Amino acid sequence: MANRKEVTNQISSVKNIRQITRAMEAVAAARLRKAENRIAQLRPYAQSMRQLTRRAAAQAGSFSHLPILNERENVETLGVLLVTGDRGLAGAFNANIIKEGLNLRDQALDEGKKVIFFVVGRRGDGALTFRKQNVSGSWTGFTDRPAFTNARDIGEDLVAAYIDGHVDRVEVVYNRYVSPLTQYVQNLTLLPVQQAEVVGEGAEDEAAAELEGDLAKAHARASWEYEPDPEDLLAQLIPEYVNISLYRNLLESAASELGARMTAMRSAADNAETMIDDLTLEMNRVRQAEITQEILEVVGGAEALG
Amino acid sequence: MATSTTFSVEVLTPEGEVFSGDVLQLSTRTVIGEIGVLANHVPVLAALKPNLLRLKVSDSETKVYAQSHGMMQIFANHAQLLLEEAVPPSELDASAIEAEQAEAQAKLDGPEIGDAARKLAQRDLERTSAFLALARGE
Repeated sequence: MANRKEVTNQISSVKNIRQITRAMEAVAAARLRKAENRIAQLRPYAQSMRQLTRRAAAQAGSFSHLPILNERENVETLGVLLVTGDRGLAGAFNANIIKEGLNLRDQALDEGKKVIFFVVGRRGDGALTFRKQNVSGSWTGFTDRPAFTNARDIGEDLVAAYIDGHVDRVEVVYNRYVSPLTQYVQNLTLLPVQQAEVVGEGAEDEAAAELEGDLAKAHARASWEYEPDPEDLLAQLIPEYVNISLYRNLLESAASELGARMTAMRSAADNAETMIDDLTLEMNRVRQAEITQEILEVVGGAEALG
Repeated sequence: MATSTTFSVEVLTPEGEVFSGDVLQLSTRTVIGEIGVLANHVPVLAALKPNLLRLKVSDSETKVYAQSHGMMQIFANHAQLLLEEAVPPSELDASAIEAEQAEAQAKLDGPEIGDAARKLAQRDLERTSAFLALARGE
């Protein structure tokens, strides 16, 4: 049986762990609220951008000439963008993304394609570099608080890689945020941009469309001034769409990371709690044994004298 | 003429609403050139260039923002500006922008740059140059 000093030390170190994990949980919870807020704040911009794109598209008529919309028949090189976090201690948050990314790679290799990785977050970057994967772009240092400019940097590089033919298709793997307790790994095609997605009716637009009603009719009748002409406007709007959807993915991933960390830290704190209970019991037992031992010694000593 | 002299302006960025309210005049720059907008303007759909955005709220007060690329829609006496970034010029960080500019320049000067990559790097250069001028108060 361990001695009392050892058990006391163990208890105090587990108490420290409990305190740290509780604090990390609280920090993650506070940041999570902010991250949720940022997702909400993107919505009006994204919605307006979508309406604007639809209007420009209606004016432009045909726009299938835009390279970013063209599906390539032969996908020789697949680009995979993994959205991970800069830090760990968030349960399986990062591991799930990396696993899914490697699955995608194996699948693509089986089909005879080449694979290029792009990575967001230090964790993913480190994991892929360790596995000696071909990482042709990585962005780190902002995953718990991404700014739109981060998404734009990434978007520009990916769009350029796509149009210039370095990749024939780009998939994004990220943690989709449902609630602080639920996130799941989602896998989306970022490029080419799906024509229907940009100019078609999205579910989130329905409310806005209803509101408009008469205004929309007036809209269609009005004679508009376009600077530049609608075709060129569209050519600028569609890359913007890529940046917006990337930004949303980054925000959701940030919220998921914080949610996962909150949950992981809560269960760590709860485990520490149970451990402290067990150890306290253990300590009492040790103390009791010591007392019994002492009594035996005293009694034995008295008997020997008597 | 019973027309109003103010019109409503809404400035949105992906990170939230920057401005919403009535103004007397709006000045900015589109791909064609400088534009000043007063109340009852004809409907416009325009692509915006990085520039100083001025919103004249009253005769004595003008709000200014550094605007990045974006879109402007004017319809029914309401102007909606969708900007990638819109920050007061005083909040611009010249050294950070310089670093960004150097990065864009390095991309342009790099070997084997594709057409699309060149266009996007030029776009970055355009923005950083405009922002740098604003940050230095030029």
